[in-house]
Amino acid sequence: MQDEESLVRRAQQHDQEAFAQLYEEYFDKIYRYVALKIGDRMEAEDITQQVFLNAIKAISSFRWRGIPFSAWLFRIAHNQVVDYLRRKTKRPTMPLDESLVASDYDPQLIAGRKLDIERLYSAAGKLTPAQQEVISLRFAGELPIAQVAQIMGKSEGAVKALQHSAIVALRKTLSVA
Amino acid sequence: MKNSELENILDECLERLAKGETVEQCLQRYPEQAAQLEPLLQTAQAVRKASAILPRSEFKARARYEFRSALQATATRRRLPLFGLRPRWAMALMIIAIALVAGGGTAAAANNSMPDSPLYPVKLATEQVRLALTPSDMGKARLCTALADRRVAEIIYMASRGDAEQVEVITQRLDESLTMLAVLVSVGEEEVPAAEGAPREMPEEPLLTTPPPPAPPPAPSEEPKGDGNVYDEGDGRAELRVIVTACACDHPDALRAALSEAPESAKPALRRAIFISEIDYERVLAALD
Repeated sequence: MQDEESLVRRAQQHDQEAFAQLYEEYFDKIYRYVALKIGDRMEAEDITQQVFLNAIKAISSFRWRGIPFSAWLFRIAHNQVVDYLRRKTKRPTMPLDESLVASDYDPQLIAGRKLDIERLYSAAGKLTPAQQEVISLRFAGELPIAQVAQIMGKSEGAVKALQHSAIVALRKTLSVA
Repeated sequence: MKNSELENILDECLERLAKGETVEQCLQRYPEQAAQLEPLLQTAQAVRKASAILPRSEFKARARYEFRSALQATATRRRLPLFGLRPRWAMALMIIAIALVAGGGTAAAANNSMPDSPLYPVKLATEQVRLALTPSDMGKARLCTALADRRVAEIIYMASRGDAEQVEVITQRLDESLTMLAVLVSVGEEEVPAAEGAPREMPEEPLLTTPPPPAPPPAPSEEPKGDGNVYDEGDGRAELRVIVTACACDHPDALRAALSEAPESAKPALRRAIFISEIDYERVLAALD
């Protein structure tokens, strides 16, 4: 990907290709982040789309003030998720594991992945909200600790501590190794 | 060892794992902490693997299309209306053009044409002119609702004739109208100017040294309300919500009703049209909220 700052500046000047490149870079990460937070495929799809539609509307308000674009985008995603959890729609839920069927073809692999994702979603539900956020941003969003800290408004040290305690808690629940 | 030290080492190892190092390689770097680190890194690896959820490819394709459409809609809204002319001149020219077309009776005849009619391209072109001519976001939004209504009627007609390909094409147009509607109602909410009165798409122009052109005639109005050709804003948002809420029920219902009578060949395309209309209206209603 081209230098992100120049892409963002071009996107702010209504360069559609620049915005499309940013979209491609972040789409999967935002989807994973949202999916892990809410555990419902259809809602995760709708929210992910809405995140990028909101980004189109708000891109002109983004300013480079030491906060990277990714942090800004994940902040939009976070707000969408919070908004969703607050008003939980009446739509029937579509379990997250269904989405794996479309992306994998080996039945054994599918079964294994379903089990993994079910266990992770269930285990993540037992974490504190802050721990959940760190795990979602670090592992699903693939963000470095500095950006997680910026998004959450915490120090890097505090985020590392949350990450550590979250992994310890997950280990107990998942009984890995 | 202090907790913060272990937290730093753990984070460094997580970065290394993300870049492709193995757990064993990380443990070799920190032999003294290996016993504490190993279960944590194994857990982290399991979490990373489980959270690598991929979006469905059909969802990705559809989302990409909608994103591009929304970008396009935004760009269209920002562009000067006609060949870079000043808005007021462009508006006058457009009105003259539409008056000429409508005066010939062709546009009126095309209004009721279906996609298999030779007049259908005229219908689409007229719609685009009307859309460009409508000055306010709320007016455009109402027009989008009316266009969605037309598209649904066309989908039902083409489905009844078993033309799945045309059903797909018109469904795409329905999707475009509803996506534009969602963008318009969302953006319109944020852009409500503090001072009322001045239309948003008429930026202030410098004083002219020559007499200004005569004011353009009033925009065409008073078409049947059911067609959505309403150009004034009034208490637009609340009224629009009522219209959209009705369409959000009526359109998918009408498409579902058509499903039972459609030939088998058109049913998959019709089902997709139902799906698109349902999720698009849900999005529009959410934007209106």
